[in-house]
Amino acid sequence: MPTAASPDRVSVALTVNGTDHALLLEPRRTLLDALRHDLALTGAKKVCDMGNCGACTVLLDGRAAYACLLLAVDCAGRSVTTVEGLAKGGELDPVQRAFVAADAFQCGYCTPGQVMSVRALLDENPAPTDADILRAVSGNLCRCGAYRNILDAARIAADLGARAHANGGSDADAVR
Amino acid sequence: MPTPSGEQPQRLGVGSGELPRWEEGADLSIVGRAHPRVEGDAKVTGGAQYASDVRLPGQLYARVLRSPYAHARLTGLDTGRAAALPGVHAVLSSANAPEIAWYEDSLLFDRTLRFVGDEVAAVAAESEEIADDALRLIVDAYEPLPFVLDLDTALAPDAPKLRPSGNLNGEPTVYERGDLAAGLRDADVIVEETYVTQAALHNCLEPHGCTAAWDGDRLTLWSSTQSVFDVRQRVAEALGLPEHHVRVIKQHMGGGFGSKQIAWKQDVIAALLAKESGRPVQLMLDREAENLAVGNRNPTRQRVRLGAKRDGTLTAIAVDAAQQIGAHPVGGEGADVPAIYQNLYRCPNVRTEQRLVFTNTGPAVAFRAPGHVEAAFALEQAMDQLARALDLDPLELRRRNYADQDQAEGKPYTLPEALGRCYDLAADAFGWAGYQKPPAAGPKRRGVGLAAHDWAGGGGSPPGYAWVKWNADGSVDVVTGTQDIGTGARTGLTQVAAEELGLPMDRVALHLGDTANGPYAPVSSGSATQSTIGPAIRAAAADAKRQLFEAASEFLEAPPEAMTIRDGKIHVAGEPEDRATPVGDVTAQIAPTMIQGHGERGPNPEDKSVRTVGAQIVEVEVDTETGEVSVCRVVAAHDCGRIINPTLVDSQVIGGVTQGIGFALFEDRVVDAGTGVVLNANLEDYHVPTAADVPPIRNVHLNLPDREANPTGAKGIGEPPLIPTAPAIANAVYDAIGVRIRELPLSRRRVLDALATREAPR
Amino acid sequence: MTMQPFAYERAASVEDAIAGLARVGGDATHTRPLAGGTDLLTLMKADVFAPARLIDVKRAAGLDSGIAATDGGVTVGALATLADLERHPLLVGPYLALAEAAGSAASPQLRNVATVGGNLLQRPRCWYFRNPRTPCWLKGGDGCPARDGENQHHAIFDTRRDDRPCVAVHPSDPAAALLALDAEVTLRGPGGERTLPLAAFFASPTDERRLETTLLPDELLLSIRLPAPPPGARSVYRKAMDRKVWAFALVGVAARVNLDGGRIADARLILSGVANVPRRATAAEAVLDGAAPDDELFARAADAALADAAPLSRNAYKVPLAKALIRGALADAAGMGT
Repeated sequence: MPTAASPDRVSVALTVNGTDHALLLEPRRTLLDALRHDLALTGAKKVCDMGNCGACTVLLDGRAAYACLLLAVDCAGRSVTTVEGLAKGGELDPVQRAFVAADAFQCGYCTPGQVMSVRALLDENPAPTDADILRAVSGNLCRCGAYRNILDAARIAADLGARAHANGGSDADAVR
Repeated sequence: MPTPSGEQPQRLGVGSGELPRWEEGADLSIVGRAHPRVEGDAKVTGGAQYASDVRLPGQLYARVLRSPYAHARLTGLDTGRAAALPGVHAVLSSANAPEIAWYEDSLLFDRTLRFVGDEVAAVAAESEEIADDALRLIVDAYEPLPFVLDLDTALAPDAPKLRPSGNLNGEPTVYERGDLAAGLRDADVIVEETYVTQAALHNCLEPHGCTAAWDGDRLTLWSSTQSVFDVRQRVAEALGLPEHHVRVIKQHMGGGFGSKQIAWKQDVIAALLAKESGRPVQLMLDREAENLAVGNRNPTRQRVRLGAKRDGTLTAIAVDAAQQIGAHPVGGEGADVPAIYQNLYRCPNVRTEQRLVFTNTGPAVAFRAPGHVEAAFALEQAMDQLARALDLDPLELRRRNYADQDQAEGKPYTLPEALGRCYDLAADAFGWAGYQKPPAAGPKRRGVGLAAHDWAGGGGSPPGYAWVKWNADGSVDVVTGTQDIGTGARTGLTQVAAEELGLPMDRVALHLGDTANGPYAPVSSGSATQSTIGPAIRAAAADAKRQLFEAASEFLEAPPEAMTIRDGKIHVAGEPEDRATPVGDVTAQIAPTMIQGHGERGPNPEDKSVRTVGAQIVEVEVDTETGEVSVCRVVAAHDCGRIINPTLVDSQVIGGVTQGIGFALFEDRVVDAGTGVVLNANLEDYHVPTAADVPPIRNVHLNLPDREANPTGAKGIGEPPLIPTAPAIANAVYDAIGVRIRELPLSRRRVLDALATREAPR
Repeated sequence: MTMQPFAYERAASVEDAIAGLARVGGDATHTRPLAGGTDLLTLMKADVFAPARLIDVKRAAGLDSGIAATDGGVTVGALATLADLERHPLLVGPYLALAEAAGSAASPQLRNVATVGGNLLQRPRCWYFRNPRTPCWLKGGDGCPARDGENQHHAIFDTRRDDRPCVAVHPSDPAAALLALDAEVTLRGPGGERTLPLAAFFASPTDERRLETTLLPDELLLSIRLPAPPPGARSVYRKAMDRKVWAFALVGVAARVNLDGGRIADARLILSGVANVPRRATAAEAVLDGAAPDDELFARAADAALADAAPLSRNAYKVPLAKALIRGALADAAGMGT
């Protein structure tokens, strides 16, 4: 059984929030640790580190995934979006605005993950039902129990997105 | 608004007792309104910094080796290979750590280990991965000792002993009033049952932990704690430092629920590792450690006896409560189970007995409404059973035994009508009176259940302090040493300051969670932050406002008594509205002279009891074939005095009910009887509710300012919403299927087992 | 914990990957293939094992994530994610059980990453097996601490010591559905490809092979084939969890029913969460075949399916639970559900 005698590092090219990073990482480094430690992107949180809670949810090629169960080296060449990458030009993403408006968090520790799950849902399905929403966030635990407000936030975000869409496609990006 | 009167001339600042009350119907423009959390943007962008997010140059990461045995003596420890591993900078254990007393009879690194998870050694390395590698290289040897893991075995006459004195922590605590035996004799109906509540794990999403950094002989600790001052005191004491050389900071925290209300070992371990390595050290517990070593809700066994006359009048209430507090008395481990037996219902003959029992399991600590949650599950089911035995509506039985005073203290409540109003509000909103059970659909049965609660907390108390600093541009910094542990305290307290100062919310910045900057505030527990610090902040604001008016008097050529501030402008009585002067004009005039207000929390009324109460009603559906319990809807009504911010109160209630659903239906620490290993110290096997488990929850606002509690009229709401949920669900399950389940949680297994041995409905 | 160090390679092709696995003589403790990784990484973090090398097969030529109609049936590439299965337009009607099972497994984030191949190969969730503090036979130790311990989630079939050395249950939802659909799997090793029924792929672990499958350490699972279903067949998957979503099955039931002239033909009934491997309820199928569907028949089938159950100290509840799920699944598959 190997020990930590010589943790060989390998070059990893990560694209996070549209920016390319060249990192030297041990293969065992998870995407979550690479984000939090090597890139100082601490929005995604380490709660269970076993794929049981959702606090580390990021978008991998546009789809929600747990960063704690991905090897960083495995994400080379793929597009990673974290909560830090949502707001554009100082303007919050509609999902972020909706979370504030609906008081969809208390301690806020699960919030980055919840926001990313709702963002992933709306990217795929801009007009979700309540059942769609509850299903989309079913992999994100909230110990403060803000789920009912998260449901409200997702409804509001969908509505904001629909209104932006009604104002023309370019506006949708502006609201994002 | 008038300035405070009757000030002691030689005293700095204002005590909240000197403030005029915000009465019911007072004309308030910010307090009482929904306002989004002031830290909202930081939390949705990932910008909010938690203890786990601190990144300092050269920072190391620490991990802790924990006892693999439930009870053992450490007989050998070789950390040589771990220390030699490249990337490892410090190793700490009983071999080299200072002998620092911990708990009541133990050490920071003790050679006697009393539960699986007790601290054996710690390592700081350049990454968490390397620190874990180092732990794997430590060679540890133990002499296993006999152990006890639950109440039954710990209380057996020949049980292995955790301590020479046995397995009880102190003598049983007995409370008696009246004559219990006479009360039981007088009863027409007696209910006698035993209830069992489980060990629930807090599972704060942010684990316990901290980041420690030294600058010479001065230590800064970013700790995930509910009490920066308690951590400072404990760490300073442990390390032999003066308190002003220790600075504890907590800006945002990912949940505490009571488990972070004390200083735990990692605060000191991180500081020692940082000292040893000469580098900053972050020590965040992993999920398993979080669930082993830093608290749980104490399991209880409660034997309950109720006696009542035919008309429902209670003649006797008794409980014998055994509480499993785990291996160490950590402070706050003995949850107040007896309290609601003594006070929730009017009864002349009451006896409560409480025994705190040591076991070789992780130490218990306060968990959101400690004791009351466990006790309500038993008492409120017993009341439901009594109501059915008397053929009375469960709500009517509660009304007939209404308590309008604190019977344990012998004092009237400050708000004696509150619980009755909660009954009315909840029953009306739910449709309790006219509720018709839908016809059974196949194996599915509906039922409704009610439970009430009383909570010793929520009232707050002195001491607690705040300062107001009025800046040259008219904006204000409010400084206090309190914490926002996720409750919204930052927002609610800012609202109090803005209201008293007459400023818009965005002209007030509240600074908290830093022992170096703010005056003392107590631990954020007991649902007391708003009601302890809110009045102190209001007093500081009033003090600052008085000084501003005095300064303005010269410029505005008006007496201070004629001035008020609205929306950031000073209005003088009798002057036209458009002559109002922006406060910034005055503060700019006197700058750099700074107006500073000092406020302190005044005393609570001596002759009254300040408590909080409430009631919840739930509807459930039980599938009698699959054992599935689904909560369909919940209606809650709680007294928290004046509502400072209805959105925050709703969120607290919804969150408490959500935790209550988990406690009722699935949460349950599982300990292997053969080894003492916790088998579900993770979030895969320890099930907390998901979004799909939580139905619509309606919180009906009582919003009745507590006339006498404190001059803001507000009380806390953090803990109480969790108390009635589990018994209300259990009562509803009984209503649905006619089977009474007296042991938590009401899992499919327990429901199906109960249905299989279906007892006769009582 | 965090994982122990390992080397990481990307295989360009299935041949490369197999060569890499074979290079160490098929020593599974040395080299493991990595696809979605959602099970492998958790086992490594739990220190259940610590391979020295992972071979990433996600981009290997010869492996794919396709779901395609072939010869009246459907072929599923081993890299198809559970999310792919959950929403694929082909997986309806006779194949619906597979989509339902995939959609009931884990969470959205896991379904986006976890592959169907990895799902079939995942190890039990037994909390003794997964806890590094508790030795057990399945991890190479001696006894089974669950048998007389905290066994509420464990097997209710073949539970006596003489039956099996381990009482862990197979955790997969899709496995039960695939078995109900008569799936075959194609494997490839150094010697070439072999295809076998999924039922033969699963096997209770033995002293020599402490695994739930017969896949050799230097073999890869390439694809899964669902043969053409009987005309008119419908299938469903029903699952009971300890909370509404995102939990492993206490019991899962995959049922396929083909109504032929008002009578059931080709019934398939598979239970998950009750035995070392997904359990086919052949006695219940015999009750169903040739009979006219009604609630009484479904109840008899459920009783037959559980007739041999031998629950452990804490899981007797699984017997009525399984029966209820079976009755409901059969009614739904027969189009008689409420």
